[in-house]
Amino acid sequence: MKRKPKITVATFLLFGMFLGVTEFHAQAAPPPVKKVSAIQVLMIQSEEVKLPAEFQISLYENLIKQLQKQGGFEHIYRDGDKTATGDVVILRSTVRGFKKGSEMARQVTTVAGKTSIDVHCQFTDKDGATVLENDVNGKVRFLGGNLRATLDFAKKAAKITRENFSMKSGS
Amino acid sequence: MRVVSRKVTIGFLCLVFSPLAVSSYAQQPADAVKVVQVMGFADVKANAKGNLKLENGNLQFSDSKAKSEVSITSVDDVITGNDSQRVFRGTFGTMTLLAPYGGGRFLSLFRSKLDTLSIQYRDAGGGLHGAIFTMPVGKADPFKKLLVAQGARTSVPIQDDSNNTAPKAGAAKEQKP
Repeated sequence: MKRKPKITVATFLLFGMFLGVTEFHAQAAPPPVKKVSAIQVLMIQSEEVKLPAEFQISLYENLIKQLQKQGGFEHIYRDGDKTATGDVVILRSTVRGFKKGSEMARQVTTVAGKTSIDVHCQFTDKDGATVLENDVNGKVRFLGGNLRATLDFAKKAAKITRENFSMKSGS
Repeated sequence: MRVVSRKVTIGFLCLVFSPLAVSSYAQQPADAVKVVQVMGFADVKANAKGNLKLENGNLQFSDSKAKSEVSITSVDDVITGNDSQRVFRGTFGTMTLLAPYGGGRFLSLFRSKLDTLSIQYRDAGGGLHGAIFTMPVGKADPFKKLLVAQGARTSVPIQDDSNNTAPKAGAAKEQKP
């Protein structure tokens, strides 16, 4: 009989915690991103990391190609395009980590020689306000040259972009 | 007799120096380089093999099927680098990976060095494009010099290029948070 108040208190505490957690989650959830008809891709930046020029260009070109391939946007503008107007989201990508592996090591040993690129993707609106941020990794483990890591990144980044901003995406 | 001997001498001299004349003529289109267009140049298919040359203020890529060009003054950046590739490539190269007793792995050890030429250029609307070419070793730097001399811009001075494009050992390592 003496246990009853304790149980009641514990139940209230648990209920309170549940409510608090729910409320916290509700606050932490990012605001729903606006669907747009166009995207502008800026040139990949690599201020912190020394990135060979061919990787920088390959990241940029593959990203644009994958966005075109996966569809969902009426216009895909390049960096510096003067015709980029209207409802457009801007994608800025910054390389945060880069490890140039070895194709030969991959083919000879199978386990060594991985090439990996970590890129921070920031989506902003035309006023510069951040809408979404995401870290995307591109890597090549087995087959293919080192530049194939940029294709892996591009596929992942294009998928994220399509899911979050494309009017034609399911969500 | 004297006239005949003079004619013979002139003919002989012409024969002796003719190889020099041919070689100087051969050097005339030395700005045409056999390349592989890895990606990004105008409307050329990826990994297309062809010739890259400078003509009438344009950077021109031509292969058996198509020809496309970009104005040299629209080139914002030219950077050279170096890389290597398997000697046995393509379908045959992939098939060698299935060879028994690690034969494919052994063949992977045979690699050829090559130069890379990366350019950034702008289209008529101001949009930035990037293109990557690979070419035989020692061809990229002279080609870059020609490009810069004809009005292309570069972020890396020519003499420092080879040092700067190759990632340094410390810098190339993955950054940990």
